[in-house]
Amino acid sequence: MTDTSRHEHHDGSPYAPHTPAETAAMLEAVGVESEADLFDVPEEVRFDGALGIEPRSERELRAELSGTLAKNDELTEFLGRGHHSHYVPSVVEDLSRRSEFLTSYTQYQPEITQGFLQALFEYQSLLVELTGLPVANCSMYDAATALGEAARLAGRVRQTSGSTVLIPEVIHENKREVLDNYVDGTGLEIDTYPMDDGIVDVDALAELAGEETVMIYAENPTVRGTIEERLTEIGEVASGADALFCLGTDVVALGLLEEPASVGADVVVGEADALGLPTAYGMGLGVFATRETFLRQVPGRLVGASEDAAGKRAYTLTLQTREQHIRKERATSNICTNQAWVALRTAMHIAYLGPDGLVDLASQCVREAGSLATALSELRGVKAPVHDRHHFREFLVRTDQPAPAIARDLEASGFAVHVVDDHLLQVCVTDVNAARTEALVEAFEEAL
Amino acid sequence: MFEVPEDRKYQESHEYATTDGETATIGITDFAQDELGDVVFVELPAVGDEITQNEAFGVVESIKAVSDLYAPISGTVTAVNEELFDRPELVNEDPYGDGWMLEIDVADESAFDDLLSAEEYREQTE
Amino acid sequence: MNYDQARYGDDDRYEPLLSEKDTTTVDVGESSPLPDDLTRDSLELPGLSEPELARHYTRLSQMNWSVESGPYPLGSCTMKYNPSFTEDVAADPNGAVHPDRSDGTVQGTLEVLYGLQDSLARIGGMDAVTLQPPAGAAGEFTGILVAKAYHESRDDDRSEVIIPASAHGTNFASAAMAGYDVVELPSGDDGRVDLEALEAAVSEETAALMLTNPNTVGVFERDIVEIAEIVHDAGGLLYYDGANLNALLGRVRPGDMGFDVMHYNVHKTFATPHGGGGPGAGPVGVTEELAEFLPSPRVREREGHYELYDPERSIGKVHGYQGNWLVLVKAYAYIARLGDSGLEDASAKAVLNANYLASQIDYDIPYGPFHHEFAATAGDRDAADVAKRMLDYGVHPPTTKWPELVPEAMLTEPTEAESLDSLDDLAAAFDAAMADSDAELEPAPSKTTAGRIDQARAARNPRLSWRALGEEE
Repeated sequence: MTDTSRHEHHDGSPYAPHTPAETAAMLEAVGVESEADLFDVPEEVRFDGALGIEPRSERELRAELSGTLAKNDELTEFLGRGHHSHYVPSVVEDLSRRSEFLTSYTQYQPEITQGFLQALFEYQSLLVELTGLPVANCSMYDAATALGEAARLAGRVRQTSGSTVLIPEVIHENKREVLDNYVDGTGLEIDTYPMDDGIVDVDALAELAGEETVMIYAENPTVRGTIEERLTEIGEVASGADALFCLGTDVVALGLLEEPASVGADVVVGEADALGLPTAYGMGLGVFATRETFLRQVPGRLVGASEDAAGKRAYTLTLQTREQHIRKERATSNICTNQAWVALRTAMHIAYLGPDGLVDLASQCVREAGSLATALSELRGVKAPVHDRHHFREFLVRTDQPAPAIARDLEASGFAVHVVDDHLLQVCVTDVNAARTEALVEAFEEAL
Repeated sequence: MFEVPEDRKYQESHEYATTDGETATIGITDFAQDELGDVVFVELPAVGDEITQNEAFGVVESIKAVSDLYAPISGTVTAVNEELFDRPELVNEDPYGDGWMLEIDVADESAFDDLLSAEEYREQTE
Repeated sequence: MNYDQARYGDDDRYEPLLSEKDTTTVDVGESSPLPDDLTRDSLELPGLSEPELARHYTRLSQMNWSVESGPYPLGSCTMKYNPSFTEDVAADPNGAVHPDRSDGTVQGTLEVLYGLQDSLARIGGMDAVTLQPPAGAAGEFTGILVAKAYHESRDDDRSEVIIPASAHGTNFASAAMAGYDVVELPSGDDGRVDLEALEAAVSEETAALMLTNPNTVGVFERDIVEIAEIVHDAGGLLYYDGANLNALLGRVRPGDMGFDVMHYNVHKTFATPHGGGGPGAGPVGVTEELAEFLPSPRVREREGHYELYDPERSIGKVHGYQGNWLVLVKAYAYIARLGDSGLEDASAKAVLNANYLASQIDYDIPYGPFHHEFAATAGDRDAADVAKRMLDYGVHPPTTKWPELVPEAMLTEPTEAESLDSLDDLAAAFDAAMADSDAELEPAPSKTTAGRIDQARAARNPRLSWRALGEEE
């Protein structure tokens, strides 16, 4: 069979529109014989071999990739620990995939990109409402890199000679590794403070905090799903030490839990992809919000309101002198490409939920976690939650039997949970898997 | 083309200092403000701070550029033009007048000799 | 070309903000399952019905330019067409998995990632690739951290990274973030690296030279072998900034030019959509010698089974998980769609398009021969004004006033995706804007949703949220 359709031919890029006649005309206009003549590349560095990548048609590739991805086991995930997802309504999928949004670039010409700029301005505004802090940027890559940027900001604005960033002893190990890399070139050091049954041991923290401290980081909810009870006191310890208080959280929790500004947070970082983005193998959207004082130290892009020639309100990227393309090695961060499209989706999802919907969703995260923990703790040899605290979405489960073996059995029954150590599992429940909690409890019982 | 008043001295990096005795008023030149374009932000030291000739004492920002401000002369800051924090555009509108930046107690008046005269500076910018 | 962008709104604004459409305050305590002292008191947000939401965002989309709207020739940005089918591939529900799943249960995901690591290694002439960095700048930071770990492993303490003055701003910022002092290398008269200046700049402090090739005026660094020798002889590493890789696919590989570390901008070269500023992905490729320092985890294959593993002396993580999956899977699909011949053709057509467009416009282009992009100069006109006027002719203008090497630069990269007709439209817009008088340029644009926006006002009085707008009233 000969398929001469331009969409099937494999001689060149299917996304270069040139017909042979057009190519010839263009070469002539340029004044060269062939495309190869346009390359001013010395012979010695030319690559004459084959890359060995076989071109495929669209139809073949779709079949191939859907076959490959079908090799993933179909499991009901009770997984969280920093990557959470909630049901994303179709309207968010549909609208965000409009090519005017999806295939646009950073808004270097604001007059012709008002739509995306307004969407990002709205995203920033939503984060301002949720955090209570007056400045929110229009995205970081994820929660871990946002925390890294917060530590770097603390290092830049420090009033004292201090160089220590205090973080909880219990934190996602990945976040810690990213933080270590972000402070690698700064001279800052990371130290940990103890936790007390799942929340911050404020007395111990107060002992550790001092002149040396430039930032205290705490989470609400914590990586173990506990809801922090002493935020105001943590904020007081931080301000007593002239250190910044950086609070890690997520966009759903912000709808219900204490407002960061009201507990003295100077910087809020965390995960905003919990809304707007389905589970995506860890792809994220990092929140970065702070006080007005640090406006000129904020990493990443900011959208501001101004006026156009007609005197109408219009939006533009602003305060760009902070950024790498102008300040180069003295920029607040190297970030350029960010997660703008995810921010668009998150804003859509928040506006879809409205305040009632968001509070309901967040409340469900508390209730479902509570009921599932109760149901699991009725099983023999199981304690849940391990910490005697309120929980958000997830909680630790202590098992008399080895946890890895239980997790394997659960996997065989179609469920994924986290193994934290030999006798600790972690289970996360949201609206997405809530309908499967009874089945999980049954499978858990069988696994014991 | 650009205004270069005779009553002060100039730094190659486009700052000026008035030379009327023990105190000096410091700012940036008409040429500098034009090069920068719309000034949107000025960062200055506080009263009491020391500034040192040829060393950076602050920052001036336009939309698309950031410039360090270099001290034309050493001394102790006695006044800061706080008006600039709310109206940085004064640097553009009146660089030698309302757009001034600092007043200092001059540490060593002989250091004025290291600066360019109006004529020399005019030549540099031509 | 006639063009008028959609323009909604009234006398004060173009489209009301979400908050101007609805603002609702709820008392959080009432329905909360938590004690009052653990919750916020109230929450004030907009809440829109689905029809209202659809209309709001559809209108916003209509007030936005995109590569599907028309040419988007921003230099160094590679705004090429983003194939539709890659969206369908990325939307496969089987790919929507949590990153903490055990390896055995995500074999499909790992196979795709492994395949992409492999394709990128082949394209770059590199031995090992990490997919973790979520953007080009994150890739630079990662690559420089890898270089740092390499030097430290040899007890070789180096403090400087050399970067040409005309390099992308991210290079400087990334090197500084990793704790290095930046040594700026002036460009030679021909726009290329000046070998004598490089000789003078390298020392035992040189950790790396960061370079993009073709450089930021589209000119190939013909002395690349000598450059590599100079840097390597000084004990430094050579870093390739992949922003301009779209010029070279299948024809020149950074590994063959002597580069030790590189990042790929898959959202440029490999056609994943830019999404209004992101997400992208900035995988990093390295030579065998540096592979053990790459971020953890990487994917490997053993007897048909894929698994994650931590490289022996890994720098650790640079992203909370494995980077931007939705971007990576699209890049895999794009590369596989094109294959060897398609990749080579993409670059050939990208370079042809840039050269053709340059031949059709009446502008000086000081540096050449150029490849996928060229830096025209607006001469005695203000490049920013010319660009604003181009908007009125129904095209997006090039990158303006950068690199500074070219006065009033208009850095233009049409990409292979523009047709001959489209390039002719673009050329006409270039020339028409340049032919217009200052009186016509200054009030431009007029066909876009908004007229010329007051940048100084935005920066002098930053209003970054609707709360800030409300407080002002």
